[in-house]
Amino acid sequence: MKHTWAMAIDLDRCTGCGACVVACNAENNIPTIGETEAGKNRLMHWIRVNRYWEGEFPEAQAVYLPMPCMQCERAPCELVCPVYATYHNEDGLNAMVYNRCIGTRYCANNCPYSVRVFNWYDYKWEKPLDEQLSPDLTVRSRGVMEKCTFCIQRIRRAKETAAEEGREIRDGDVVPACAQTCPPGALLFGDLADPHSEITRKLKDPRRFRLMEHLGTEPRVVYLKRQKGAGR
Amino acid sequence: MLDRRQFLKLGGATAFATLFGGCDKVQRRLIPFVIPPENYTLGEALWYASGCDQCPAGCGIVVRVSEGRAKKIEGNPLHPVNRGKLCARGQAALQALYHPERFSRPMKRSGPRGSGAYAPVSWEEALSLLMEPLKKIKAEAPSSLLMLTGPMRGHAGLVAGRFMKSFGSPNRVAWDPFGPDAMLSANAAAYGVRDLPEHDLANARYLLSFSGDFLETGISPVHYAREYGRMRGDRETIRGKFVHFGPRLSMTAAAADLFLPCAPGTEGFVALGIAHVMVRDRLTAASSAAGRLADDLGAWSPEEVEKKTGVHAHDIAAAAEEFARNQPGLAIAGTTAATCADGAFHCSAVALLNVLAGNVGKPGGLSFPNRAQAFAKYGPEAGLLSPSPESGYAGTRAALEKMRGGAFRIAFLSGATNPAFTLPPSLKFGEALSKVPFVVAFASFLDETTSLADLVLPVPTALETWGDDLAPVGHAGAITLRQPVVEPFHDTRSMPDILIAAAKELGGEPAKALPWGSFRECIEKAYGGPGGEMEKALQRGGFLGEASSPRSAVRTGGVSLPKAADRPLEGDPKAFPLALHLYPSIALYDGRGANLPWLQEMPDPVSTAVWRNWIEINPKTAAGLGLAEGDGVTVTSPSGKITAHVAFNPGIAPDVAAMPLGQGHTKYGKYANGRGENPISLLPAGETYALQATRVALVKTKLSTALARTGHPEGQWKVKNMM
Repeated sequence: MKHTWAMAIDLDRCTGCGACVVACNAENNIPTIGETEAGKNRLMHWIRVNRYWEGEFPEAQAVYLPMPCMQCERAPCELVCPVYATYHNEDGLNAMVYNRCIGTRYCANNCPYSVRVFNWYDYKWEKPLDEQLSPDLTVRSRGVMEKCTFCIQRIRRAKETAAEEGREIRDGDVVPACAQTCPPGALLFGDLADPHSEITRKLKDPRRFRLMEHLGTEPRVVYLKRQKGAGR
Repeated sequence: MLDRRQFLKLGGATAFATLFGGCDKVQRRLIPFVIPPENYTLGEALWYASGCDQCPAGCGIVVRVSEGRAKKIEGNPLHPVNRGKLCARGQAALQALYHPERFSRPMKRSGPRGSGAYAPVSWEEALSLLMEPLKKIKAEAPSSLLMLTGPMRGHAGLVAGRFMKSFGSPNRVAWDPFGPDAMLSANAAAYGVRDLPEHDLANARYLLSFSGDFLETGISPVHYAREYGRMRGDRETIRGKFVHFGPRLSMTAAAADLFLPCAPGTEGFVALGIAHVMVRDRLTAASSAAGRLADDLGAWSPEEVEKKTGVHAHDIAAAAEEFARNQPGLAIAGTTAATCADGAFHCSAVALLNVLAGNVGKPGGLSFPNRAQAFAKYGPEAGLLSPSPESGYAGTRAALEKMRGGAFRIAFLSGATNPAFTLPPSLKFGEALSKVPFVVAFASFLDETTSLADLVLPVPTALETWGDDLAPVGHAGAITLRQPVVEPFHDTRSMPDILIAAAKELGGEPAKALPWGSFRECIEKAYGGPGGEMEKALQRGGFLGEASSPRSAVRTGGVSLPKAADRPLEGDPKAFPLALHLYPSIALYDGRGANLPWLQEMPDPVSTAVWRNWIEINPKTAAGLGLAEGDGVTVTSPSGKITAHVAFNPGIAPDVAAMPLGQGHTKYGKYANGRGENPISLLPAGETYALQATRVALVKTKLSTALARTGHPEGQWKVKNMM
């Protein structure tokens, strides 16, 4: 069965707490780079929570926007990779083949959402902190581009489990680390190809929008606007 | 110790029998949580349920263990406090387990106190170093033993309490910088119950928050964040409205529909203004029958309140009107209101609103379940196991006085609340402790407090211990069970284990009071042991479905007007123009998270800064002082002076400067040390532990460091670029 994995981010629920960021660190072996490198805007987080200011005191507002990879249907990053290290996989995700990557960084340059991060060094996990590394995915080396995969290892595991049990994947079988932990339940993941999935229902909401729609990238991450007022 | 191969063999041979344990290395059975034993295969991870100890909220966790190593922590989906969710701090507990700077064996001081110079010793030697003076003072002057810990709950609290009692020393003090003292005395005054209520946010239609940063820190951030999400989006036709009053646009304030800035330390007066309108206009049944209260509230008209707080009178009247009309609703006071010098007043004024709106005991309002019932079988000792909610500031100060007088010959220090770091320096914790001849620390890490110890006994982290817990809110009497999810990583022994062993060696009363062979045995005896109820409970993460009856004693009427003691902030407003607003950091809490790289590198939600602390001011204030983003400033208060980098917050009142707590460590390891200075050193030592207590002046200074921030310099102010 063909899947159309998608994520819904309900900005009416997101509080900006950052639990998703640390969950992603733990799930995806994301290195800690230290203060100096962080000062050069080289943080390796695959999901970040953007904070924007609007208005002035006393009406000033902070707006939070969690930003994983948008998994664009028409991804600008894929077109420019000279070695096909980033490609569209069978589920429609933008996947990375780390072994092919030669570090041109064209993809990051072409990503309008700035969600791709580059390994400037071989980042080290000081012993015994390396014991926390997940055996499910590789530790990337210097010169390689990386980004959010929608926790592809969890998708694969769910597929394998479903195959073992001789059934289709059910709604809720795949939950990426960020959505799993999100305390207010702002992140929802699911299959848009399944007409009965929770995300299909959720995305009928008129509040839906996608980032930079005018670019025609057709992101698979869909946001739901913040609401105003008491009812709906 | 097992090696990995042997471990796997054992796992394969007996399906799930593994060798875990505290200090008793006996083979017992442990049951994996999600995957049933018959599915055990090599390379397949197992999930074990346990309890989080990164803050006092007491969430349930499940830990993914792959070939004997913990790999990831998630929330326990069955646990009523957090229902599968977990915050950044809880997940980072993994890095505490594998921290390169953990104490791996007992340490004896080898240099002067505070130098941090230690030499490793064996457990035998360490225990004889401990027992020799302990036996001596047991015979001569048992009350010269002091135990200063963080809040202890469950049977760990029972062991510590019984040990001290049977030893003959009344000097047991628990210190928690964010302990809810103010809320407890307010609740005792308003509802007649000295306890923390359950706030049913999910079913509320209206939420008034008074500096209540319940989404980031506070009593149970994950629980309330989940409830908040449900309040906003889980009902078909109702979306709860959220109005926040406070001096700073915090992360929680940013979630509000309406943020109304008020002057720092005036949250309670805003609440009185709202109460005034409710009573004056007879908006609810309870406010129509307010009696004497109506006269007392007369002085707090919205116009008067506006003068004092800076919140417009029409906003106060509108909030009162909406709050009364949209029932059930809730009024919540938070840590930063409760840590004003007048904290109890602010909390009482807010509680008054709940009483006037008639929200007590209703769904969508607040209630007081009788949680202590879980430990009722212990009778008068039940208090030792229940959440020990007092911050213990008064007790800690009294203990410091006694220390200076030479009353103590041995001090036991334990817990993550790090008094040498979190108490105002003017209390001179280190100097007082130097009067105690023998200081023993039960700790995993060297920190400002532990470095003052003569003997360090290494303790396991929460992922390696047995234990139980009763969370302060978010459940109706559910008991969390902790189990070691991995083989202890170092040669450690938990504090209750050491106390039990010490009691045995002391003999007499202590041995009778602590009759177990180990702490694990204590837990097993209490919960029915392996093979019985406890085994099933361990799989689920505890006894999670226990329902307790609500308390009958809640009083919902006859409230009197809380009195403000009007304690002004320290410092002359002319010399110190800005009020200093200190708040717990969402990543580092009271500073305990500062040694974990994940938390240091998690961008702060408001300032987006990493790895260093900062001072938040309004851009307009900054313009007046000639300061730009990231500039260094010297922050001076009447009590101290520190430096920090400037971060703009357009939602903070122009006469307020705010700093997060948690940075400024000097002895907490390489990830924590030298990342800015500790703002607590700006505080005076008052009668209560007041974080909102002083005014400051800022002067531009050149600093050699820079503040790393993750916000895009171009896009930071322009969300429209993204939409």
